Amino acid sequence: MIQVAGNIGRKTIHFANHILDLFAFTYRILKLIFKRQEYGRAIVRRVILEQIYFTCVQALSIIVPVALLVGSMLIIEFTKISVQYDLGKITVILLVRELGPIITAFLVILRSATAVTIEIGYMNVLHEIEAFEMAGIDPMRIICLPRLVGITSAVFCLFIVFDLVSIVGGYCLVWFTTHIPMGDFLGQIGKAITAADIAVGIVKAICFGIIITVTSLKHGFQIRKNITQIPPGTSRAAIESVIFCLISNVIISAIFYM
Amino acid sequence: MYLIELSNYSIAALGSGNGLNNFYFALSDGDACAVNTDTIDDAHVFLKTLATIVRPESGTFRYKGKVIDFSDYRNLLFFKRKIGYIGQDSAMISNRTIRENLLLKRSFFQNSLSLTLDQNVVRFCKIFKIYEKLDLRPGDLRPVELRMAVAIRELTKSFDVLLLERPEDYFGHNRFDLFNEILKDTLAHGNAVVFFSHDQDFIESFSNRKILISGGTLVKVPA
Repeated sequence: MIQVAGNIGRKTIHFANHILDLFAFTYRILKLIFKRQEYGRAIVRRVILEQIYFTCVQALSIIVPVALLVGSMLIIEFTKISVQYDLGKITVILLVRELGPIITAFLVILRSATAVTIEIGYMNVLHEIEAFEMAGIDPMRIICLPRLVGITSAVFCLFIVFDLVSIVGGYCLVWFTTHIPMGDFLGQIGKAITAADIAVGIVKAICFGIIITVTSLKHGFQIRKNITQIPPGTSRAAIESVIFCLISNVIISAIFYM
Repeated sequence: MYLIELSNYSIAALGSGNGLNNFYFALSDGDACAVNTDTIDDAHVFLKTLATIVRPESGTFRYKGKVIDFSDYRNLLFFKRKIGYIGQDSAMISNRTIRENLLLKRSFFQNSLSLTLDQNVVRFCKIFKIYEKLDLRPGDLRPVELRMAVAIRELTKSFDVLLLERPEDYFGHNRFDLFNEILKDTLAHGNAVVFFSHDQDFIESFSNRKILISGGTLVKVPA
């Protein structure tokens, strides 16, 4: 019994330490955004653009079909279970407020967060971080800052793409099976969307972007000695990102809508 | 004033090495110091210590008289910029081309994204036969070519001190003589060098002082 209690205690302390580490790491990266350093602006800007291209532009070929499938599936179901004038509101509640941000975050985690953890893990094991330091360059500034800004911006852009494609594209796909005119449907959505929905979208994009980037970077930097640590590290980073995104999604929704 | 001065310094052991306990080491401009050790790991960790990559267990590291504070890695970046390190674990950034790697420091500190290399870098690239491969990524190069690229990056770094680990293995038989010529030119400017080598000719040609690391202690070898 004492051993079980001890084990639970140790794991709780370890978990609390890990959460505090993540907050401290987030604080250090965020501080770099507001610290207007003279050096490295051009190269940092370039890495940010590369990250946005990788996380956002290259992900469009995945997010657009997923948005179409999810949008069409939900709109088909809604038309069966609801009367016509509820459709816009239900679509906004489910797609714009909840499913859009979460599905987008999951896709970014699957595609980019895992890639970031693997990349940083390799860089650490192969002494590439040391190479940055030996050039006098702060790895936090050239690796972490661009990834945070890039992934957060990409998540925000992908939210917008997902919402638009799932609603408009989804409707177009099921147009032939429903009797709702396009104008009415879009009008209902327009009336249902409030300023709070837009604010929630922005807040969730920023929170998910920060959570995904910080978690994946932290796990990447924890891989130090050998390459075999990379797969479990990547797996932990992905699972933690998913869980933290779900928790923050609930908290944000509760704050804005309850 | 010494270029580098380590006092009451202790370093933890690495691999099969013994580490180093409470030693004193000083390096001045123009010194060419050959390191001899019981184990390769001790030499490796000693060179990494001079490069400020390895943190001490205790002791004081002075660089040109200024005490280095190891509590935050950012305090070390300024000093690392002034140290050339050609070790067995020196690496290039794998998601950048060789050209971008060679330009990294300039890109960062001069806020420039120009892809034009300095004349000196171009000369070294031609000498070491990697000029045609500048736009490839490190993964596309053979290990020996990659090592040449690392060497070029470090040799053109405007360093105060150059640290070399087993240059005869690093450069290989074909390019070792070429490197010796370049090193002679580079050191003619009065820069310090610390190296670990098994090549007696190299040691005799370049060293003007020797140290021995044995059983966790550092001993000066009389000339």
